[in-house]
Amino acid sequence: MLSKISNIISLCFIQGFLALFCTEINAQSIYDTIKPNEPKHFFNTVVFFDSYTKPKQALNDTVDYLNERLETYAVKQRVLAFYLPLHTAKEFNKDSSIYSNTHYLLTGNLVQLQPKFGGITNHNLIKAGIGLRMIHNTGKKGLWFIDISPFYTTDVTFGNDNGYFRMSNSFIYSHNFSEKFNLRVGLTKSFLWGNRNYLPYLGFRFGKLDKVHFSLQIPKNMSLNIPLNNKLRFSLYTKPQGGMFTFSNKDSVYYFNREANFFFLTRYELLSGLRFDAAFGNNFSFYIALGTSSRNKLTFYSEKANADRPNLPYKTYFFERSLKPTGFLNFGLVLRFGKTKNIHGNRNLYEAMDMNNTIGVGDNNIAPGMFSVPIDESVKRSKLNLADIQDLIDANDF
Amino acid sequence: MRKLPKIIFTICFLIGLFNSYQGYAQREKIEVLRHSYISKKLELSTTESEKFWPVYNEYQDKLKALKRNLRQAYKNLPANFTDKEAEDLINLENKTKLAEAELFKTYSDKIKAIIGINKLLKLQVYEEEFKKEVINALKEK
Repeated sequence: MLSKISNIISLCFIQGFLALFCTEINAQSIYDTIKPNEPKHFFNTVVFFDSYTKPKQALNDTVDYLNERLETYAVKQRVLAFYLPLHTAKEFNKDSSIYSNTHYLLTGNLVQLQPKFGGITNHNLIKAGIGLRMIHNTGKKGLWFIDISPFYTTDVTFGNDNGYFRMSNSFIYSHNFSEKFNLRVGLTKSFLWGNRNYLPYLGFRFGKLDKVHFSLQIPKNMSLNIPLNNKLRFSLYTKPQGGMFTFSNKDSVYYFNREANFFFLTRYELLSGLRFDAAFGNNFSFYIALGTSSRNKLTFYSEKANADRPNLPYKTYFFERSLKPTGFLNFGLVLRFGKTKNIHGNRNLYEAMDMNNTIGVGDNNIAPGMFSVPIDESVKRSKLNLADIQDLIDANDF
Repeated sequence: MRKLPKIIFTICFLIGLFNSYQGYAQREKIEVLRHSYISKKLELSTTESEKFWPVYNEYQDKLKALKRNLRQAYKNLPANFTDKEAEDLINLENKTKLAEAELFKTYSDKIKAIIGINKLLKLQVYEEEFKKEVINALKEK
C-alpha cells in the first residue's frame, strides 16, 4: 500500500515538473529588451565529496563459523554527490503580498562502501543514483518538499552481475510558526536504518537559522548548530548512517547456499560527534567531524533464498551482529557553482535551504553544510575594497 | 607516498578554483552588509519582513544585473572603437537608465503596498546612508 502511494506521489511530482517547465510567460519591458544576465535560481549547483572511516574491530570474539571467518570489521566510505537546480518557477500574487516559488533540483550520488573484513577479500560496494527533488515555497509560512531518489547497488569486486535497483523518497511539509520555531511532518522511505523502512518524519527547530539553533529531525538527525560567522560554523550532532548493498558471494560467505551470486549486506550505526565547517569564499568549503559510532549493526541475508522458504520473512538473516562503539572520522569538500538570486531576509527560503541540506542527497544523510543562509555583519567590521561596492556607486557618489 | 601527487594536484585545483571565484565572493559580501543595515534601520514587523524581503531582493537582483551588464559592455569596448560601437554603447546606457527607472516605478509600487509610503521613503534614505557609510569605510582604510 505504502509502495503504491509512494509511486502515485512520484508520478504526480514528475507531471507537475513537466507542466511547470513549459510555462512561464514574461511581459516585455525595457528590462527584458536588454536581457541582462540575471541569476535564474536560488540554489547553487553543489558538488561535494565526503569521506568516512571507522577503525577495525574484532568479530572473531564470538564462537561462530562466520564470525571466525570474517575475523575483523572496519568501514571506509566515500561519497561523491551533487545537486543542481533545473528550473525555478516564481510567482507574485496581484498585490505582491505573496511570493511563492518552486525549485526543481536534479540530484545524484555515487557511494563507494568498503566493509573491510580481515578474513576475506576486500569488497567494493557501489551505490549510484540520480534523483529529482522539488521544494515549493508557498510564500506564506509553508514549504512542501518531495525527494525521489532511485539508486542501484552492486558489488564490483568480482564483476557486475549482482546489481539491484531500489528507491528511497521523502514527502515532507514544513511550517514556520515563527522565525524561531519550525515544525516538519511527513513520510520517508529510507534505507538509512539498514533496510527499507517506511517512517514518519517529524522535525522541530528551535532558534533562528542564522543564529544558534537546535534541530531535531526524526529519523534523520539531531543537532545543535552554532554559526560563528559567514565563514565558520560549528555543530554537535547525532545521526544514523547506513544502507543496504548487494554483496557478491564469489568467496562463499553465504556458505548455506554457495550457488547464490549475491546476497544483501545491511548496516547502520548512530554517529554522535562534533563538526566544524569552514568556507573560503562563496564557492568552496570543507568540513571535518569526529566522534563515536554506536549501535552498530551488521547483517547479511539473501532475499532470493528466503523467498524459496515461504514460511520465513524475506529478511531472515544468515548473519547478524551488533558491534561495540568505536570512534569515527569524517571530512568533506564542498564546491558551489554559479550565481544565485538574493535570499537575504527571506525566512522561507532560509528554511528551503535548510531542508535541502538536512535531507541528504540520495538517502545518505550527508549534509554539505549551511553557508547558503547569510549571517548579518556590520559595515565597520567588514574589510571592503572598491570591487565590492561597484554595484552601489555612481560617478557622483564620491 | 603514491598518493602524494594526487593530493598535490587536488590542492592546486582547489586553490585555483578558490581564486577564480574570489572576486564573486567579495561582491556578494555587500548584499549581506546591505541587508544587515536596512533590516536594523527599517524596523519592519515580522509580517512586513516576510513580504518585503522577497520583493526587495528581486528588485536588487534586477538592478544589479543591469549595472553589471553595462559595466561589462564598457569593459568589452575595444581601445579603437568605431562610431557604430560608440553609438551602440550610448544606446545601451540610455536603455539601462530607462530600465532602472522602470524597475524603480514597478518595485516601489510593490514595496509601498507592503510597508507603506512612509517606510518606502525611509528605505530610500537608508540606502543612501548605507552607500555613504560603505564609501566612508573604504576611505578610512
